[in-house]
Amino acid sequence: MTTTPAKPTTPVIFAGHMVYNHRFESGRTGSRFLRELRDNKKIMGLKCPDCNKVYVPPRSTCKECFGKLDKWVEVGTEGKLLTYTVLRVARDAEKDVLKKQLPVAYGIIKLDGADTGFVHMLGEVDLDKIKIGMRVKAVFREDERKGNILDINYFKPVSNARKR
Amino acid sequence: MAEEKKEEFIGVEFLSKIPYSWSMGPYSGSLFTEMKENKKIWGIRCPKCKKLLFPPEAMCGYCFTEVKDNWEEIGDEGTVVQFTKAGMPIFDIRKGTFAFSERPLANIQFDKGPYIMHWLEEKDLEKLHLGMRVKAVWREQGRGRGYEDIMYFRAIEEKK
Amino acid sequence: MANRVAIVGVGRSTQAARRPEVNDAEMINEAVRAALADAQIDINKVQAVLTNSIDGFDNFYLGDCLLVDGSGAYMKSGMKFHTGGTVGSTGSIAAFNMVASGMFDIVLTIGHQKQERGNSMGTLCAAAPGELREFVQGAIGAFAQAAVQYMKNTNAKLEHAAMVRLKADKNACRNPYAHLRLGLKSIEDVAKSPTLIWPLRLLDFCPQSCGAAALIVASEKVAKKISKKPVWVADHETVHELQSEVVFGGDEEKSQQVAARRLYKRNGITNPAKDIDCFEVYEPSSWEEMYLYEHFFITEHNTGWKLVEKGVTELDGAIPVNPSGGVLATNAIGATAMLRIGEAALQIRGDAGEHQVTKDVKTTLSSGLGGTNWTTLVLLKRSL
Repeated sequence: MTTTPAKPTTPVIFAGHMVYNHRFESGRTGSRFLRELRDNKKIMGLKCPDCNKVYVPPRSTCKECFGKLDKWVEVGTEGKLLTYTVLRVARDAEKDVLKKQLPVAYGIIKLDGADTGFVHMLGEVDLDKIKIGMRVKAVFREDERKGNILDINYFKPVSNARKR
Repeated sequence: MAEEKKEEFIGVEFLSKIPYSWSMGPYSGSLFTEMKENKKIWGIRCPKCKKLLFPPEAMCGYCFTEVKDNWEEIGDEGTVVQFTKAGMPIFDIRKGTFAFSERPLANIQFDKGPYIMHWLEEKDLEKLHLGMRVKAVWREQGRGRGYEDIMYFRAIEEKK
Repeated sequence: MANRVAIVGVGRSTQAARRPEVNDAEMINEAVRAALADAQIDINKVQAVLTNSIDGFDNFYLGDCLLVDGSGAYMKSGMKFHTGGTVGSTGSIAAFNMVASGMFDIVLTIGHQKQERGNSMGTLCAAAPGELREFVQGAIGAFAQAAVQYMKNTNAKLEHAAMVRLKADKNACRNPYAHLRLGLKSIEDVAKSPTLIWPLRLLDFCPQSCGAAALIVASEKVAKKISKKPVWVADHETVHELQSEVVFGGDEEKSQQVAARRLYKRNGITNPAKDIDCFEVYEPSSWEEMYLYEHFFITEHNTGWKLVEKGVTELDGAIPVNPSGGVLATNAIGATAMLRIGEAALQIRGDAGEHQVTKDVKTTLSSGLGGTNWTTLVLLKRSL
């Protein structure tokens, strides 16, 4: 009759997967922003009249004065590249989301008329020739827009030279 | 009056599979090894407050004493203290879907005191009653699944 | 308590099964604005912001960081709490402690959950270690089993559970911030709902809601300056149980009795039914409410069902319990335990509107319940 149980020869580990379901709602404000991308190829923001700040993507509350925001403004689809990086390694799940071949550059863009940065990918660009401060323009998908941020396919550089 | 178009709200819905890897530790490791190899259930008795702990742990949760190797076999018979049966489907987190529970769930108190939550073999609620005596029915093949090495608890004759 | 602490603002968002018109920051912002308006202060006066929710229940993580837009926490102090169902009260208790310490004068605490998306049942199962998760069946399994034992030990019947549900619904219909306001007319209406997990019918258990609550907590010197009706936090208590014994109800001593005994002793409460005017308890199932009456010593062991039968705990009864409609009517889990405190505070102030209880309320007890049956208690008073 044993008085102690057997000791495991290797550590006992239970492993597997847990499946969670997620559902994130954009809300009224977020939905309007996404619908404008999808239906009108427009980028919209919310302006705080007291602080004179335009938030893109829009937020319902002003960060400075806590005011409730409801004044919609359209900002341009062009802007200045504030900073960027190049993604060279990603997991399959991340590649699925981005739907892009690696390496891909993405950065923070200050759209004309906005006071906040807008994160998106860069395309039609030579990765070695990206410069901070360069002017970029949104290129929308023409085939299928679904009402999400990837309805903008990427931002491409625009030349400053005057068109002849 | 023009008919107002219903406001469209945009959201995303998706399932995600999150991997987990639970280390059982040496004490639960021994418990599950004995269940798998010998169909035996072990607990550990706290040297200070004398409570029998199940599942066994390195520290007694009641009095915060190290339990060392005060092992004791618990046996696999007990009494049904509480039970229930799901009428609606329950979410199965391993699959991410809803499914009906096959059997009733019960809180069973081993004769030596500790509790275990497990299934009952008898599916007909009318035949169940609190205080009934049950005994574990072990899986004969493919043990090594932790508590699922017991398939369910079967009603046995009351003690005279 | 070192310094005296008062609740000077209570805010609630509306609650519903789905709230697609707001994201999380916007939803909590509703409760925050309501609390600020109630306290009649500006967000700039708030020194610290606590956010409280259970991450896995709605798959929303890092609320302290990701809700700054709506919480008013920009450039402020604060932290996030993540316990089980008690989190709304745990976050409130933390706010009380912060102010009592003397380090903060005004703290905002927010409880929230957006359960349209997550799976609280699944998460509870996942939290069980050692492959116990197959058996846990979420919280409902434990409550159902406790109900079976209660029926055996007492003369309580399914009808008594239905009476509790009916009371909760009648009260909820008078509360615009409750989620389920069904207009149930009789216990037969409750009996018609399908069996969720025997013996619980669907209506015997709480809903899954999306919503938020907020409290503004102030030190005595600030409270007396800004509030005409500060509600004083007399005391609070938290007691945990072992994770390996998921047995609710039953005959053994539980965290509820231990917490109540300690709290009552410290505050000279010898007859809770008389010394406390109104209760807001955390009752996920109608059966739970019946034995919570016993666990908090409002009545003897195994007699909770009798109070229900006699209508003692109705809105106009001698010992009103859950005049807000309770958890049975509204359960955005992160907010729920905080609403037990907020609703109790409104009763003391006489500001509960249509669900104000008939008798004068000077002292209230609010309870929270979490995970493997641990308990929080908060004792509020009109004057200390």
